[in-house]
Amino acid sequence: MLKIIGFICDWAVSTEGLTDGQGRLLAHPSVSIVRIPCSGFIRSDWLEDALRAGVDGAFVTGCPYGDCLNREGNYLMRDRVEQLERRLQRRRVDPQRVAMLAHGLHDRQAFLGDVEAFLRRLAALPAQSAPAARPSAPKVSASREEVPQ
Amino acid sequence: MYRRALSWLLRQTLRLDVYINKVYPTDWNPLYYTGGLTNLFLLVLVVSGILLLFYYVASLDGAFASVAYLTERVPYGGLFRGIHRYAADAFIVAVLLHLFRNWFTDRYLFSRDGPWISGMFLLILGGFIGVNGYQLVWDQRAQAITAIFVSMLYAIPLAGPPLAQLFLGGVGINDAMLPRILFLHVGLASFLYVLLWWHYVRVRHPKIWPPATWVLATLGGIILLAAVIPVTSGTPAQPGLKVFSYPLDVFFLLPFWLTNWLPAGIVFAALAALGVLGYVIPYVSRESEPAMGVRHSGVAQVIDGNCTGCELCYYDCPYDAIVMVPSPHAGLTKAAANRKLLAAVMDSRCVECGICIGACPFEALELPKFLEADIKQHVAQVVTA
Repeated sequence: MLKIIGFICDWAVSTEGLTDGQGRLLAHPSVSIVRIPCSGFIRSDWLEDALRAGVDGAFVTGCPYGDCLNREGNYLMRDRVEQLERRLQRRRVDPQRVAMLAHGLHDRQAFLGDVEAFLRRLAALPAQSAPAARPSAPKVSASREEVPQ
Repeated sequence: MYRRALSWLLRQTLRLDVYINKVYPTDWNPLYYTGGLTNLFLLVLVVSGILLLFYYVASLDGAFASVAYLTERVPYGGLFRGIHRYAADAFIVAVLLHLFRNWFTDRYLFSRDGPWISGMFLLILGGFIGVNGYQLVWDQRAQAITAIFVSMLYAIPLAGPPLAQLFLGGVGINDAMLPRILFLHVGLASFLYVLLWWHYVRVRHPKIWPPATWVLATLGGIILLAAVIPVTSGTPAQPGLKVFSYPLDVFFLLPFWLTNWLPAGIVFAALAALGVLGYVIPYVSRESEPAMGVRHSGVAQVIDGNCTGCELCYYDCPYDAIVMVPSPHAGLTKAAANRKLLAAVMDSRCVECGICIGACPFEALELPKFLEADIKQHVAQVVTA
């Protein structure tokens, strides 16, 4: 079964009655939902890290464009996901594994439709090969004294 | 009760959006631009008002005649008068939509009380300026609402009679009054822009202008309306006449209509009470803190050792809550070792949205009640499930 994580802005689409006790979508148990304060809260690195940790797909859902409670959260997140897609391409991870959705409080059906389309997209992708370790910065164990001033 | 009513109103407000978004692309939804539309109408009012000002004579004998001259003799004068009137109606409608929408969708939480409080001042002054506009014409309607307004002032204990004298420029209606009203009409309208500065000051990239389509559509609508239904004056005012009926403008003069049944003092007190309630709204929390859940995740915190001073959070914060200060010492990570600046969150401006956390590529910001570790834990649960 696919493993998918979805971050949903708490002001955006309501998943009340759509999820089980562990936050999985009843209609698509492979999708786990995490409620977040604003779609702009998501750091795009987290999506990439999730993919590398073994998640098959990750998406962020914000409010309809123009209606972000903080005016810009969903636009910013859309830009960040676009940048992440280009970055993933360079790193040989299929950018189709991340998605940005935008649905208002009442748009459950449209939201579920988009999730379904995302699932179909993921199912059509070749299985994720064991991802190369992310080129990480050398670990710094420096205490403050060793840092060049 | 209040909370449940507001939750219901929130759902209905957003349900309206669902239908509108079926017609327009979402970022064209006019209800997303109530503030921008208000600003547009205010500009139309200022421009058309300046043109009207050139012809207006602020005296009891000259006012009505000068407005009639403007309407009938000056080329397109009537059109401009109509634009000024209908833009004012559109202004107050847009203001009220803006107020109710932001109220029902919780856009006043945490540090967003500043825009709310300044907005209440803008609303009250805007309404007052509108009433002044009706007085300036000095027809019988103007006479009637002036009489009612003065009796409202007299109903204020202690301060009332002196205030009424200040407003009238003497005892009873006299020639000093209209210049004062003209000054209030124009001066307070200019002051609205000072209040607008306050309205915008904590808001980065405020949406102060609607999409071009809506600018053209609303301007066209106002001009069309002004041409098709010309604005006219009533009968000229007569000194000493008691006016009992006049055409009502529902957008500005509703309180005056209420004086048909209630004493002016009661209506004024009710208005004042409404105003005070309006100012209280941001401080009456809709939900208890635990019930807010992730919506109340705490003020963002900078992790000093990781901050590189790159300013990304500073550019993305929608509330100007992050300031870059000269770094007092080097950071701990390699990337932060040579930083010149350090991000600092101003608690009093933060609305706990977490947008800065998403902006930071250096793990240098956290929401105290929703940590990066929590996200990692969610991901780990999904992977192991």
